Amino acid sequence: MLNQAAGRETGTDIAHLRHVPRRYWGRYVSAGLILLFLGFLVDASAHGKIEWRFVGQFLTVPSILYGLANTIIMSILAMALGVVLGVIIAIMRMSANPVLRAVSLGYVWLFRGTPAILQLLLWFNLALVFPTVGIPGVWEARMVDVMTPFVAALLGLGINQGAYSSEVVRAGLLSVDTGQYEAAKAIGMARLKALRRIILPQAMRVIIPPIGNEFISMVKLTSLASVIQYAEILHNAENIYYANARVIELLIVAAIWYLVIVTILSLGQAQIETRFARGAGRRGTVS
Amino acid sequence: MSGDTAVRSGDTVVRSGDPIVRAIGLAKHFGQFQALKAISLDVFRGEVLCIIGPSGSGKSTLLRCVNQLEKVTDGALWVDGELVGYRREGDRLYELTESQIARQRLATGMVFQRFNLFPHMTALENVIEGPVQVLKRPKAEAIAEAKTLLARVGLDHKADAFPVELSGGQQQRVAIARALAMKPKLMLFDEPTSALDPELVGEVLTVMRDLARSGMTMIVVTHELGFAREVASRVVFMDQGQIIETGPPSEILTRPGNPRTADFISAVIS
Repeated sequence: MLNQAAGRETGTDIAHLRHVPRRYWGRYVSAGLILLFLGFLVDASAHGKIEWRFVGQFLTVPSILYGLANTIIMSILAMALGVVLGVIIAIMRMSANPVLRAVSLGYVWLFRGTPAILQLLLWFNLALVFPTVGIPGVWEARMVDVMTPFVAALLGLGINQGAYSSEVVRAGLLSVDTGQYEAAKAIGMARLKALRRIILPQAMRVIIPPIGNEFISMVKLTSLASVIQYAEILHNAENIYYANARVIELLIVAAIWYLVIVTILSLGQAQIETRFARGAGRRGTVS
Repeated sequence: MSGDTAVRSGDTVVRSGDPIVRAIGLAKHFGQFQALKAISLDVFRGEVLCIIGPSGSGKSTLLRCVNQLEKVTDGALWVDGELVGYRREGDRLYELTESQIARQRLATGMVFQRFNLFPHMTALENVIEGPVQVLKRPKAEAIAEAKTLLARVGLDHKADAFPVELSGGQQQRVAIARALAMKPKLMLFDEPTSALDPELVGEVLTVMRDLARSGMTMIVVTHELGFAREVASRVVFMDQGQIIETGPPSEILTRPGNPRTADFISAVIS
């Protein structure tokens, strides 16, 4: 068939014809439908019972900004604790020492196996189990004074995150070629130094995208701390609408701030990924 | 010991004093599989020992036992006068700690089949990593020496290149410089040219030849019989975890005493 067609139309006949790109009618139609739907949403919210001026008004009140700051601080600290614990737990999991391996497995099993909100409540109510904390005779304090909402939220979220991060870190460590461990050993490096200097920097390339993902989850997970009276943004938004009954407006205020934080984090992640791509074939050819 | 006889390489007699590597009754098991069976071998200072043999014959395993990437399961091994992996007290052998093993490894430098350069570091950073991080040498000094070493392997102009930007042959030459930077007493080469494109083999062999000429003690697992013939002071033929025969290259490679050696050599050459 092809040969016959080629026989009828000689090369010179066809070579000067104009090229017409394919039309994607489906895209025009679907874009139109979506615009229509968005228009409907805007119209509905304009006529619905949302007072948008309240949204604008409450977006920057001190209580909301204070809550925002607390959300950001808790996200960063809990995530930092989670990543540090995650690295330690992952290294323990890959250790030759069976005791360390068992501890690591137990940790992940326990903290990944129970809901984060339950863990937060347990930490917050620890005073019911241990009324005092400290070393007898040296230093002692009442647990209710130590286990503030901030401390309980940090421990609850950070330790929970450690269980998830450890699996991410482990995946990263496993992604590094065993030849790298051997080369590090061959120049006389001890195991921990090899991990720090050779293995982890390479594992970072694999670790960063899912950790970025986890960080974004963490920002939203901090809202759970509202149940233990930690003054993060959702908690403070709730306190305002308990007083003025502007429920939806204040929830929208909180939603806007969450979106702002997550957007900034997403941009930051791209920057970090570029940094750890060092020597990973961006300049040369990958063999 | 058979190693007490002088070994001739070209015109020079290279045997001297105590062996730098001595293996007696060395065995290595991987579960049920026995990779090395009762290996006894002496390697003397200044020698270039080439180990040849079919794949799975245990030659890489033997090399990896010398710098403790594999743990010996039976027999004893000395490197540079020290018992490898153990400390003797009375009639018992106590296993060394990880840091003691790391210190013992400093006597040897290793070059791998797949180069194993650190991909997140430049060529220069690869070479100074050991001296700075392990030997705690001042960085400026390490850099100066690394540049000399890179020049020695013909790559001073590639000091700032990442491994991914280098050809296989160039990567292997950086790997040799990285091993030399630790000033080892013994260099181990584990099939250093097997992963290279044919046209890149020569540049690596040239560097190794120069190294041999400079008096470095080398144990080379290789399939390059031409290199073995030219550079080796002794050739060891291994098969099925055993040393089948040992001798000067002129003997082993041209008129082998054992039919298995003869079969292998004719198979490699054809």
